[in-house]
Amino acid sequence: MKAANLAAGTAISASVAVSGILHAYLYVNGYRDVPTIGSAFLLQGSVFCALAVLILVGGPAWLRLAAAAGAAASLVAFGLSRTIGLFGFIETGWQPAPYAQISVAAEVLTVALVVATVVRRRSSVRHET
Amino acid sequence: MSVDPQGMTRRQLIRHSAWFGAAVALTVAGGEVISHVAGSADATQPARPTLRFAQISDSHIGFNGPANPNVADTFSHAIGQINSLGYTPDFVIHTGDLTHLATPAQFDQVKQMLTELNTPHVFTVPGEHDSTDDAGQKYRQAFGAGTRGDGWYSFDVAGVHVIGLVNTLHLQKLGHLGTDQLEFVEKDVAGLSSDTPIIVFSHIPLFAMYPDWGWGTDDAAQALSYLKRFASVTCLNGHVHQLFSKTEGNVTFYSGTTTAYPLPAPGQGPAPKPMTLPAGKLRDALGIREVSYAKGQQALALKDQKLT
Amino acid sequence: MKVILPVAAAGVLFTAACASHASTSPTAPSITFQSGMTPGMSGSAMPGVMPDMQSPPASASATAADSPAPQGGTAISMSDFKFNPATLTVPVGTTVTWTNQDEEPHTVAAKDGSFHSPGMDTHGTYSFTFTAPGSYDYVCSIHPFMTGTVVVTK
Repeated sequence: MKAANLAAGTAISASVAVSGILHAYLYVNGYRDVPTIGSAFLLQGSVFCALAVLILVGGPAWLRLAAAAGAAASLVAFGLSRTIGLFGFIETGWQPAPYAQISVAAEVLTVALVVATVVRRRSSVRHET
Repeated sequence: MSVDPQGMTRRQLIRHSAWFGAAVALTVAGGEVISHVAGSADATQPARPTLRFAQISDSHIGFNGPANPNVADTFSHAIGQINSLGYTPDFVIHTGDLTHLATPAQFDQVKQMLTELNTPHVFTVPGEHDSTDDAGQKYRQAFGAGTRGDGWYSFDVAGVHVIGLVNTLHLQKLGHLGTDQLEFVEKDVAGLSSDTPIIVFSHIPLFAMYPDWGWGTDDAAQALSYLKRFASVTCLNGHVHQLFSKTEGNVTFYSGTTTAYPLPAPGQGPAPKPMTLPAGKLRDALGIREVSYAKGQQALALKDQKLT
Repeated sequence: MKVILPVAAAGVLFTAACASHASTSPTAPSITFQSGMTPGMSGSAMPGVMPDMQSPPASASATAADSPAPQGGTAISMSDFKFNPATLTVPVGTTVTWTNQDEEPHTVAAKDGSFHSPGMDTHGTYSFTFTAPGSYDYVCSIHPFMTGTVVVTK
């Protein structure tokens, strides 16, 4: 099922890229000045853009798992920033809209796609043996 | 090819390491690119100050006297002036004496009027008129949500640290901060780097402007000692209903004017009571203030505007 | 399947382009609050949802001590930000009445806490009956440089 794997890889790469590009954009436009969180945005943007490129050109499976882990961590961080605060940083609602919504959607999609890929590989391995 | 008992062949290990190395290299390269873009964004964007806000003060809603028969009107006018600055201030601070007699109706009215300000955040500190009967209880019900103690607080914006202080309770001739609040200030700034610009709001001046009329704070020196190591400290206050500024060491104090009625200059009269000016001269004595800060500049830029 | 790759790439580029077009002006700085300390209220340029800061106004309104005009009570006035007389001597059991003749509101607050008037506006009054002898220093809590003393004799 190489074609399905290629499609999944492309889709995962795209969603990871969206999240990374949005974090990078927000870093450039204002979040740079926020203590700790600013640096975290820079790191997330860099890592996600790198992962997106490597997943797209067909890197090993652990890259996708790393992307899923990163996306999950991004979602957790987002949730913390809306509730109890993260390194003293709190925002309300879906600020900054619409970037926050798009990024959350992309991260959820990343996790879903990677989980689906892992499940498919496990079941296809079972079929082959 | 035989599978290595440890689960991975040397070729596979090299392959995975190569991918990992590529990931690291790409991440670093990506980070450099993003940082570079952020740096050039500074240069290419129009010079918008890092931070700009407005100060409004001493509205005394509920006052009725010859010095100003309609304080709500002049306050409303001042709010309109802030809304016509040509930009949206990042926040507006009201440095106290929002009401004249601290009645529930006056708090309601001033709070309602403040929501007309075209800005995302409005901060306040209480004046002694706001705490007349109840040590500030009604003030805190109206404006104290999310503050500490008697209503003090701090926050950060654009790399600037802002502190709101309450020095209008437990008065004994002068303004007073109290040990709990002093402890708050000490802990609040402890972790900040010394090049962080600090802005402090209070109602009564934190410097001895005219102690005979209560225009000073008895324990401000201790609070300012916690701020001694910072390169830029700016204190904005109300209470005295006139513009005044003074620099002491690394701290610059700026008193803002009122939107209600003028008070005499220090010593120019028996007491700080409302002055009735000749017809048509009242608006010249009232006003608002714009404050802006640009990263890299140590001092804040202030622009005081009369009421038009 | 060959369709998916260009579509995905187009999607990414489209989103990135939208993101860069979305704001042509520099973003306003956002305020960072510490958890548990979120002061202030929102003005009318509030974009997101802010926690509701409205709270019911205090129902208890300050009322002055409800006593009719004293007959033979001793009076102190506030004018020009001074208590007149600054020192008043009365026998124990006397009701002292303060009257505010300034435009500004004043209060009288005993330093030992034995009496604390509500805010008195122009022409407002406040009365207190001294039941124990002693020397009572008081200030106006709004303008604490105004001081006075009531000396209560046996």
